[in-house]
Amino acid sequence: MDVSLALQTLTKTFPSHRVVDGISLDVPKSCFYSLLGPSGCGKTTILRMIAGFAEPDSGEIVLNGRKLNGLRPYERPVTTVFQNYALFPHLTAAENIAFGLQRRGESAAAIAPKVTRMLELVGLQEKGGRLPANLSGGEKQRTALARALVVEPELLLLDEPLSALDPALRKRVRIELKQLQQRLGITFLFITHDQEEALSLSDRIAVMNKGKIEQIGTPREIYLTPRTRFVASFLGAVNWVDGAGIRPESTRISRQAPGNGARAVEAEVDASTFLGDCFHVHTRTAKGETVTAQIPHDSEAFANGDRVHVWWDRSDELPVQE
Amino acid sequence: MNRLRALFLAPSVGFTVILFLIPLSIIIGYSFQTRGVYGGVTAPWTLENYQRLFDPLYGLILWRSLVMALLATALCLLIAFPLALFIARAEAKWKSVYLYLVILPFWTSFLVRTYAWMFLLRDTGLINSLLLSMGLIREPLPLLYNETAVVVGLVYGFLPFAVLPLFSNLERLDKNLLEAAADLGATPWETLRHVVLPMCAPGLRAAGVLVFIPCLGSYLTPDLLGGGKSIMIGNLIQNQFTTARDWPFGAAISLALMALVMILMVTVLRQDAEDSL
Repeated sequence: MDVSLALQTLTKTFPSHRVVDGISLDVPKSCFYSLLGPSGCGKTTILRMIAGFAEPDSGEIVLNGRKLNGLRPYERPVTTVFQNYALFPHLTAAENIAFGLQRRGESAAAIAPKVTRMLELVGLQEKGGRLPANLSGGEKQRTALARALVVEPELLLLDEPLSALDPALRKRVRIELKQLQQRLGITFLFITHDQEEALSLSDRIAVMNKGKIEQIGTPREIYLTPRTRFVASFLGAVNWVDGAGIRPESTRISRQAPGNGARAVEAEVDASTFLGDCFHVHTRTAKGETVTAQIPHDSEAFANGDRVHVWWDRSDELPVQE
Repeated sequence: MNRLRALFLAPSVGFTVILFLIPLSIIIGYSFQTRGVYGGVTAPWTLENYQRLFDPLYGLILWRSLVMALLATALCLLIAFPLALFIARAEAKWKSVYLYLVILPFWTSFLVRTYAWMFLLRDTGLINSLLLSMGLIREPLPLLYNETAVVVGLVYGFLPFAVLPLFSNLERLDKNLLEAAADLGATPWETLRHVVLPMCAPGLRAAGVLVFIPCLGSYLTPDLLGGGKSIMIGNLIQNQFTTARDWPFGAAISLALMALVMILMVTVLRQDAEDSL
């Protein structure tokens, strides 16, 4: 595996607390890598240290074999798509995209075709002459992406770039973003607190909590074999029954006790929620633990107060260790 | 509702009419009449006062006023910009302190402060005495009663008018944009030139207008620091109403100056409107 970005025991302390606490990770070349975690977990600080807006207290940032520590932001072969896009309001979309190329001293003749190609790549060929104020949220987001990509960075940092978009648009842009990354082969480091975003986009995910990495793996590994309760809960809903964790989609529900091999608990139905493609049946065990089962929308309906058995295969229990 | 509105508007309308429109009408009236023997105006009505404006002598004074006002404005902006940037980037608790310091001179009369400059600049003033006693010069430098002294006085007097609009412009500047520029490879100088300055165009224009207009019409500073010669157009106007006792001509110059300023204002406002599109 060719490593693009390597973080080595990166640490950053603010007066109040240690925001980044000995983070080490390797980002492979051409990888879509996500840092996933709740707000305040330190992921944004890591991004700022890689971009050069903050310096780590200790630890190294190495990009393609070159140490970045101490370099000014404008000396680093890294660009960023900012959360609020940070487009220059006095420049048109095309001029925003040209900005980085101009700073590299490229001639106007060399810049023009690159800008045109980039506008086409993000589907804004008609909008190049517009000021950011006259672009929609999605168009601004693409302009910011094009502006950061056109300089062919060794690493692209994305700071929750989809969070300002409305939900329908977000899903569409997500697909486009993934396709673009695969086509260009540029290494993406994507910061997000949205587990669905991270799961659907990433080749690899590092789940962070309180300045530390909880687990690194592919989306499947992280979701199906979470190592900690935090990872299990952060990536999706979990039923915690007698210390075992089971996802609602692996949880079955029936009026009769199930056959051999399954673990079953008696429970009482608290509520049912219709979600369109499925039902969520919320139940409560004798111990007071709540268990949610996800069942097909055409299955038998359960009424509140019904006595039921909730059960699951032992192999579906999440292998949480701590 | 309408009566209430009228009630609240009455004072400002009254002030404008009594203190601005009526005197302005009188000046317009004066400018088309003939000078009286001991000042004042008399019949007949005439356009002569306006024809006299095209005398090369007055053109020279107007030109000199424009150059000095432009120079003072440019120097003000040059000094005010870094200062405003510094204040805008300062910690919140220091910002208000620095802003108070900028407007502190307004606590004293402008006349007194201009006299203070005379004490600094004259032959036996602080600067010359210091340089003489240090042996750096043998003769006092001619610091006072010349055009340089006037420009220095104008810059000093109107600097706060440049700092305040630039500060409010720079303070609103999104810090993210500076980071975005650096991220894309812009050095601090390039960021200043390609991001900060263009985005400060409205503030620079406002500051420029706020300094240039009072500079162009200023009378006290050139009178005291320029040595009583008719250095700027303000002094020329004052002369017509006092020594020369030519009120109609003084009125005509005043109105010409006003027209010039208005043309400038309209141009700048148009540019502002264009930029905010």
